[in-house]
Amino acid sequence: MRFLGKEIQSPLTLASGILGISFSSLQRVIRDGAGMVTTKSLSLEPRIGHAGPIIAEFEGGLINSVGLTNPGIHDGLLEVEKFHKEFAGVSIVSVFGADPDEFVSLAEAVNHSQADFLELNLSCPNVADEFKRPFALIPEKITEIVSAVKTVSKLPVLAKLSPNAYDVAGMASLAETAGADGITMINTLGHGMVIDAIARRPVLHNNFGGISGPCIKPLALKLIRDVYLKVNIPILGTGGVSNGLDAVEMMMAGAAAVAIGSAVYDRGLDVFRSTRQEMEAFMAEHGYADYADLIGILQEN
Amino acid sequence: MKCDRQTLPIAAIRAENPSLRTFVLETSLKAHPGQFIMLTIFGQGEKPFSILDVTNSSCSLTIKNIGPFTEALFQLKVGDLLSIRGPYGKPFSTETGRVLMVGGGFATPPLRFQAKALQELGVNYLVNINGARSADDLLYVPDFNDLCHRSLIATDDGSLGHLGTSVAVMETVLSEESFDHVYISGPEKMMQAAAQVARRYEIPFEVNLERYMKCGVGICGSCVMDPHGFILCMEGPVVDHEILEKLSEFGVYHRDKTGRITAL
Ligand SMILES: Cc1cc2nc3c(=O)[nH]c(=O)nc-3n(C[C@H](O)[C@H](O)[C@H](O)COP(=O)(O)OP(=O)(O)OC[C@H]3O[C@@H](n4cnc5c(N)ncnc54)[C@H](O)[C@@H]3O)c2cc1C
Ligand SMILES: Cc1cc2nc3c(=O)[nH]c(=O)nc-3n(C[C@H](O)[C@H](O)[C@H](O)COP(=O)(O)O)c2cc1C
Ligand code: FES
Repeated sequence: MRFLGKEIQSPLTLASGILGISFSSLQRVIRDGAGMVTTKSLSLEPRIGHAGPIIAEFEGGLINSVGLTNPGIHDGLLEVEKFHKEFAGVSIVSVFGADPDEFVSLAEAVNHSQADFLELNLSCPNVADEFKRPFALIPEKITEIVSAVKTVSKLPVLAKLSPNAYDVAGMASLAETAGADGITMINTLGHGMVIDAIARRPVLHNNFGGISGPCIKPLALKLIRDVYLKVNIPILGTGGVSNGLDAVEMMMAGAAAVAIGSAVYDRGLDVFRSTRQEMEAFMAEHGYADYADLIGILQEN
Repeated sequence: MKCDRQTLPIAAIRAENPSLRTFVLETSLKAHPGQFIMLTIFGQGEKPFSILDVTNSSCSLTIKNIGPFTEALFQLKVGDLLSIRGPYGKPFSTETGRVLMVGGGFATPPLRFQAKALQELGVNYLVNINGARSADDLLYVPDFNDLCHRSLIATDDGSLGHLGTSVAVMETVLSEESFDHVYISGPEKMMQAAAQVARRYEIPFEVNLERYMKCGVGICGSCVMDPHGFILCMEGPVVDHEILEKLSEFGVYHRDKTGRITAL
């Protein structure tokens, strides 16, 4: 199948922030059956991120407050170059800037790499203390950042949106108007908190973090549907997908490809191979010839 | 999703030497030699530590005061709360033939646990080489004496046992006796040297590796090793000679806490 003009072996994609620091883990995920991999969000300078615990489990999923740990755009792109060396795989470089100028500098740096797509992380909830309200919640910022990046970027640009905005479809529409080539959604929900009652403390060092995993899937499906009905650019869906049926549902809602994050914690890296097999089994049983036949076919009651 | 966190008071603290202390927690954690836990001090952070020992009712860790987190730990008293999650990672194999263990510095806790486990399984012949900078830095000398058929010591300054490294003593021992398996735990350069010796004698071996770990559960990517994306926190930290052969970064570089490649 194809995503934004690139041939991909499956619609399954590694979500940003999961294992995506080194070329070797990115290549491994492709070998395990993913069609695309997203790097950890890269900033201009290296970032240590928050102290641990950075993740906490609960019945419905995970909360995390990694705080955008990353080696910086320079070293991060060295990994991307190694990823593409004598290796066939589609890469998405996720970047995070503190303001529109930083996003432009990051996009220029990525222009000089072999990356396939640029993803703008407009929606990290874990650095709000540092960078204030995520851009994905501010209509003017979405327009400003996406337009500025589009004037310089040689790569197709995906805008990664937050489920925390009041009108997510409206935000997607602004990104499309500003020139975005695709939408990635959803980033983590909330902030949420997991509490250790014995210690009378939040488990995460940062006290709160973004919620991911199975509990956000219904929200992701609904928001992806809203956006699918509103815009004409492809959606890279993410949020709570942990098996083939989840991925099929997300494509039916409107996703053109599906990214997996937290399920790597529950099912290991095998999740890519098994999810792909489960999708293909479903498609064979129900008469779908191609992944692309699933996109958006949901019929509302 | 699965959740294996436990919050417990410190049951005992034992000074091993001026910079190393053993912390004991009361828990019925099931763990094997080579596995580790993620330890939280509330408000300070969370770091990985090898398990020194478990009994039906306790888990202990031997920790070196080396930086801000461990300094905060050394300020704590019996009764203060710690939180652990785990055990994580792949343990040592259980070879019960003729077994050699080579340890260096404060990386010996997993070998002490391994010696105990192999004794319980009825190991035929167990030799340990305990290496450290100086006599004061040696750990668990009486324990290794009790648990092993032969227990050797090497110090860099010759203050106890053989003068020189544990790897030099390993050379001597291997030239005198034959072994089926070697377990190695120490600083990476020392393990690299010991691995070369074991290879030369064509004896299968396992090493106990460390990389920067933030999540411990295979999700953050900080511990992943090149070139095949080996996830050390889940697929290690114990690595056998066949896998080690493929880890091209072993002995050469690691990634720092931001993910940047840094020479060892
Ligand atoms: C699997 C594993 C088992 C370990 N077992 C033990 C043990 O049994 N006893 C013991 O004393 N130490 C052990 N360590 C090392 C221990 O995690 C560090 O000493 C500790 O994190 C230091 O924290 P700090 O803030 O006191 O020092 P810092 O000043 O932050 O660091 C001092 C050194 O510790 C290393 N370090 C710091 N944070 C981490 C981290 N998150 N992951 C890995 N290394 C880190 C750094 O590379 C640095 O060289 C183990 C590490 C790993 C990965
Ligand atoms: C540990 C962790 C780290 C993440 N880091 C990033 C990041 O750096 N950039 C980003 O855009 N999203 C990040 N995310 C969000 C994921 O990419 C994804 O959008 C979200 O987790 C929902 O998908 P899931 O339920 O499959 O995990 C992170 C998520 C987790 C769990
Ligand atoms: S420590 Fe996070 S993947 Fe190993």
